[in-house]
Formats: sequence, C-alpha cells, structure tokens
Amino acid sequence: MRLLDRTGWIADPFVRDGGRPTLVPFAQAESAIAQGDPIGIEIANTTDAGALDPWLGRVDLIAILFPQHRDGRGFSLARQLRERGFAGRLRATGALIPDQFGFALACGFDEVEIDETRAGRQPVEQWLAALAAIDLAYQDSAARPSIFELRRRAA
Amino acid sequence: MYRYDEFDARIVRERVAQFRDQVARRLDGSLSEEEFVQIRQMNGLYLQLHAYMLRVAIPYGTLNSRQTRQLAMIAERYDRGYGHLTTRQNIQFNWPRLVDVPDILDDLADVEMHCIQTSGNCIRNVTADHLAGAAADEIEDPRPTAELIRQWSTLHPEFSYLPRKFKIAVTGATHDRAALAIHDIGIQILYDEDRGGFGYRISVGGGMGRTPMIGKVIRDFLPKEQLLSYLEAVLRAYNLEGRRDNKHKARIKILVHELGLPAFKARVEAIFAGMDRDRIEVDQAERDRIAAYFAPPPFADLPARSEVLEAARRRDPALDLFARTNLTAHKRAGYTALTISAKPVGGVPGDVTADQLRVLADLAETYSFDELRISHMQNAVLPHVRLDDVPAVWARLVEAGLATANAGLIGDIIACPGMDYCKLATARSIPIAQAISRRFADPARAREIGPIGIKISGCINACGHHHVGQIGILGLERQGVENYQITLGGDASEHAALGERLGPGVDAEAVPEVIERIVAVYLETREEGETFADTVRRIGLDPFRPALAAPAPQEGVREAA
Amino acid sequence: MAVKAPSLPAILTANALIDGVVLYAAREGWTERLGEAEVARDADGLARLEAALRAAEAADGVIDPVLVPVALDAAGRIVPDHYRDRIRALGPTVRGDLGPQAAGEHRHVSL
Repeated sequence: MRLLDRTGWIADPFVRDGGRPTLVPFAQAESAIAQGDPIGIEIANTTDAGALDPWLGRVDLIAILFPQHRDGRGFSLARQLRERGFAGRLRATGALIPDQFGFALACGFDEVEIDETRAGRQPVEQWLAALAAIDLAYQDSAARPSIFELRRRAA
Repeated sequence: MYRYDEFDARIVRERVAQFRDQVARRLDGSLSEEEFVQIRQMNGLYLQLHAYMLRVAIPYGTLNSRQTRQLAMIAERYDRGYGHLTTRQNIQFNWPRLVDVPDILDDLADVEMHCIQTSGNCIRNVTADHLAGAAADEIEDPRPTAELIRQWSTLHPEFSYLPRKFKIAVTGATHDRAALAIHDIGIQILYDEDRGGFGYRISVGGGMGRTPMIGKVIRDFLPKEQLLSYLEAVLRAYNLEGRRDNKHKARIKILVHELGLPAFKARVEAIFAGMDRDRIEVDQAERDRIAAYFAPPPFADLPARSEVLEAARRRDPALDLFARTNLTAHKRAGYTALTISAKPVGGVPGDVTADQLRVLADLAETYSFDELRISHMQNAVLPHVRLDDVPAVWARLVEAGLATANAGLIGDIIACPGMDYCKLATARSIPIAQAISRRFADPARAREIGPIGIKISGCINACGHHHVGQIGILGLERQGVENYQITLGGDASEHAALGERLGPGVDAEAVPEVIERIVAVYLETREEGETFADTVRRIGLDPFRPALAAPAPQEGVREAA
Repeated sequence: MAVKAPSLPAILTANALIDGVVLYAAREGWTERLGEAEVARDADGLARLEAALRAAEAADGVIDPVLVPVALDAAGRIVPDHYRDRIRALGPTVRGDLGPQAAGEHRHVSL
C-alpha cells in the first residue's frame, strides 16, 4: 500500500499485521489499545459515527474504507467524525481516484492510501495535479475558506 | 439575471481545465473507462445510442441573448445544427465528439455557462418556475434561492458521490409550475407573518422512474437562513443510508419510503440539530447580493389593455389564436409572458435549430429585457413582453417556424428523446408524439379540447414524466415490438397525482386512435367549464377504458394519420 | 460490460472513444459499416468476438462493447434482430438526414 497527503507520498508510521504502532480493524481496537502504543483503527464506511464517540480520544488514526470510488459514504463519515471532535489522523483508504483528492481533504481527511496497482496507474503527480486543478470551493472546510467567505473578506 | 463574479468564473474555468486534463488522461490510459465514466457524467457527457450527448446546464431555465447565441454557435460548430430542450430546463446536444468537449466547455464558460453536474450521482441542475419574476401569482422570485442552491451544491466535497442523482426544484408562486412533487427535494417559498415572514416548505422523496412517488412534506416552514444546513442534513442522511446495492432502488424516494417519513425525518432532524450552521449558511449580505441580480427589470407604466394588440388581433385570426393560447397573465399591467412552442405540428418536441436559437436571442434582447426562459415543458418563454409588442414578436416567430399556437393544448406534448436517441429506451417516443400532433393538427379542434397534457416516455425511467401526464404514454417492448401503455389522471402541479394504467398496451399505430377516443369520451361527458383533468377526476378511468379496445372491422374507424 | 452470450449469429458493436461513432468489430479492427462486421455463427466465432470485446475494454480506442444478435437476409446481408440495433445502424428514425442512413448506408435494414 502507498500513502499520500497534500505534499506527496509519505511514509506510513502505522503498521498492519502485528507491527507497532498498529493499524487494526475496529473490532480489535480494545485489545490493541491495551498494548499502550498509539493505535489506528480501520472502519467500514457504514459505521455509525456515534458508535465511535468513545474512541475519538483514544485512537490516533481512523482509516475509513472506500470499497469503490463511486461509494461516497466515507466523505460524510469523515465530516461527522471531525464535527464530533476527532482531532487525530483521518485516512481514506482503498478505491479512490485522484479527482476525489480535493473532496477528501475538504471533508477532513489528512491522507489517502491506495494499493500498488492503483499507485502505478495513477502516480502521485496526478494526485497532486488533481488537487491543484480546482483551488476554490463554495463549501467551507478546514482546507480552505469558502467562496462565500472570500466574498465577505473582499466586501 | 445572475452575473458571475471572479470566483464563479474561476471555478468554472478551472473545472474546464480539469476536464481537459482528464480527457487527456483517458486518452493516454491512466484513467480507465470505468473511472472516466463518472467524471464525464459529472461534466454532462453521456454515451447514447448513436454518439455522445452533452447536456448543458441552464440554471433555473434562465438565459440571456448572448448565451442563446453561443448555444447556436456551438450547435453549428460542434454538432448538427440543433439542440434539444429538456424536461429539466436544460439543453442537450446529440452529436459532440469527446475531443471537442473541452473546447465546447470553454465556449460555454465564455458566456457564464457550464455542464457541471448535469449528469452523474450528484446534485443536478436546480430548476424553478419558468415564469419567475413574471407570474401574477408570485409570492417571491424563486431564482435567488435557486442560485444560492446552485452555488452551494457545485462540486460539494461531501455530496459528489451519492447513491444516485439528486434533483431539486424551487417555486415561489401559489401554483406550482416547477413540478415540486416529483423532485428529490421540492422547495416552496411561503410567506407567513406569524413565523417571521418568508420561509420554505420542504418536501422530499418525489420522483419518477420504476417506482414513481409524490414527495412528502418534511418541514412546513423552514426559516430562510436555515436552508443550506437543512439541505445538508437531508443530503447527509441520504448519502449515508441511501441504497447502493441496486441502481433502481437508490433514489432518496426509496429511502423515505422504506424508513417511513417519521423515521427519515428523525434522522434528518438529528443531523440538522448537530450541524454547525454558521459554517454552512451564508449571511444576509450575500443573500441580498444574489437577490439584487433578480430585481425586476425597468417595467414601463402601461395600461392593462393594449389597443395595438387588440386591433391586430381583430385583423389577423392567426394572431388572435396565438394570443389566446400562448400568452400568460403578467404581474405588471400591459405585459405578458409569451410562450414559444417548440412543438410544431409533426415536429420533434423540444428540438430547436441554431437559426431558431438566434431568433429567440434577438427577441429576448429586443422585447424581453434580454431574458429568455426554458420551461420543463420543453418550450421557451419570453417572460416580459409588452402586449403592444406581441404582434411584432409573433410575426418574427411565424417566420422562424416557432409560432405554433398550442401552449398547454393537445399538441404541446412532452416527450423524451426515446429510442431514436437514447440507449436506455425500450421504445421510440418521438414518432408517437408526431403522430398524435398530426392527428390533432386542426387548431380549432385543439381549442375545443382545451388544456390537456400528454407526456410520453420511451422507457420506465420516465424522463418524459409520463406518470404525471394527464395522459401518460409509456413505451415498452412486447414480443420484440414496441408497445405503448396509456395512463390517465396524472398531475404535476400542486395537486400532484400519479396516473393510473388504463389497460393493456397497444401498438404504435393504434396510439393516435386511442387518444382520439379518450378525447371523444371527454368531450361527450364534460360539464360546463371542465378541463380534461377535471373530468377525469370526476368520472374516473372506467368510462375511458373502452378506448383501448381494438376496433371491429365493421366500425367506421378513421384512417390512421 | 455484461458479457451475456446472445443468440447466434451475433456481431460485436461499440462506440469510438474519440467521437462516439457506432462501430462494429470486423475481421481486423473496427468498422463503421455494418456489412463489414464479423459474424459469429458458432461457439468458435463467438469466442473470437468475446476476445475482441475484452480487448476493446482494455484498449483505449473503443468503448461500451456489446454483443448483439443478428440474422442474415436472403442476400446474405447482416440485419440486427432487435429494433434498437436497427435504429443504431440507421440513425434517428425521425431525422433521415442524420446517422449512417443519411449517406445511404445500411439501406437493407428497416424498422
């Protein structure tokens, strides 16, 4: 798997399958936390945001699975987690395309994780170019002020 | 009408540049077709039966002359010299080449137009009453609200990958000319002194397709300053829980139906209660800024009666007929909203040539404060014409083949493109419209029949809105042959209703005769002042069912047209 | 794309990526002419067309490939079975000046 954020490819500090700090499926969260290191949890995009409330202060990374790029539930889930106060790393993992990178960041994701095949077909240059392609938005986000905000400032 | 500021213009340009790059990446293989399909759809580009099809957004159906002339140029330079007006107030071109589309998008951006989100699983063109700003029954012009929603919904990061398409309509009049009841979200502007003035009644879950449904009211009165957050709450509930397992069960109407309105509303209200509205809503200054673009034009003070028009009508029976059918009462004395029918007898409903578009541009510029509207009935409207000018406008329309005096009458048929163009279709729809149109070509007869709405869909996706046609016609296939089911009793207005099937389907050749017989029953049974819709409501479908029976050889059945 | 084997004989149709024009798989490559379409009459022929369909999906020049059943008329000319595919071969039936029919193509195909 390859990991990227708005600067390009980055190293993944989290490790699946038994390393530390560990990234585990949500069901294994409790036992992973017991081991004391920072942990990341991987959740399905159908997870109820409220069910994660007890975990928001205890995990350092939440990775939301995108089973198909057309399935946009992860965008709502990410926004909800941020609204509910999650301040850790938020990762979109799976089937995303570069043209969704800007949307992901605007919804509160910090990073996107894709498999090697995808990374080969859509190298990081495409992801960064897609991000730069549209640098304005009508919607408010942590990523940038909305057009409505820019109008307010210009007035 | 709205004019782009630097931000609106920049986002459209950047979108075009992005699509240009995406096309290049598709051609070099770094984007697969599966990935590209969604992208091209979100830029309005479909693949149809014979070619690509490009759907251009006409926000709330409003155009100026410059834009209209640009559409004419695009039709000629890149397409086959015509465009098609749609049931969502857009225009479609049927023959663009993929490699030309980025240039077409740049030409559109030159006149503040775009194809953003006219297809795909995202929020589509926001439609509104085509008589906005003109109609006598208007409470408030719906277009500032529609424009605000357009901006809020454009490239929305959370709602660009919905389970399915999402359609929003707005009306600001007491009569619903925007078909709110069949939209995913319908927004009715209200005025309530006790509740603080202007607000919105919100309905959800209307739609056509395989399982048509009438929308249900979810909020009686939403204060204006809460609109965007409430829409976000509805969209979020839908994005999270709308079905993604079955394309035909993926609209919000299915979710509302399966949860039941109370449970769905509870979801929405819970999300709404937790939202940070300051982050989402715009301030009053922005609402005022947008509304200022829709301020009334500088109407002259005119008498209610136009001697010029009256005299011209006495001289010319054809003009007189046109004035009776195609003029609508205006809020300002001495003015009218003039309907330009794109349904000439035997023509393709909604098709207009590049030359005709130029005539419309000229007329809008000269006679209607540079404003043209496209209605969801696939016609055009000049919203603010002086009654004095009607004779001159009509004469130009006659020259251009746009003067058919059939607005709202039997010849004013709504038809989707059907299998002549569309890959999804199960049957053709246009030839059916043409045959009916020719059968009822006599204007006197059409006037005798009075207001009647025929809507034809070429498949179960119902883009022709047949479910809400007073007469609905659905084209299917039976044993390898096109077969047409007739429904009666549909209504797209504030009295929304879904039509009921009259009986078994009939062959294409039989349809005009069946319509003939349905009309005959109406004419025989109607009471004083009853429209077709009134009579159907009063007597029900049973008296009409014999219209489907095959004729016995001995009966003196009229020759098919 | 769905690769449900149609009845035989069958041909393979698609659209050109660049301009959307209707194409048919020929013995070699793709053609706009229905008459040059490769006809699969048996399992081997069908296998060849299916291979072409998969190749089309992987290649960049052709999109939305689909197998359609046809018949051969008395003169041996290809006539698609379904009226949709006949309309596709001709052009919009309401505009004789558009589509292959405008150039007099595929005249033996009728609705």
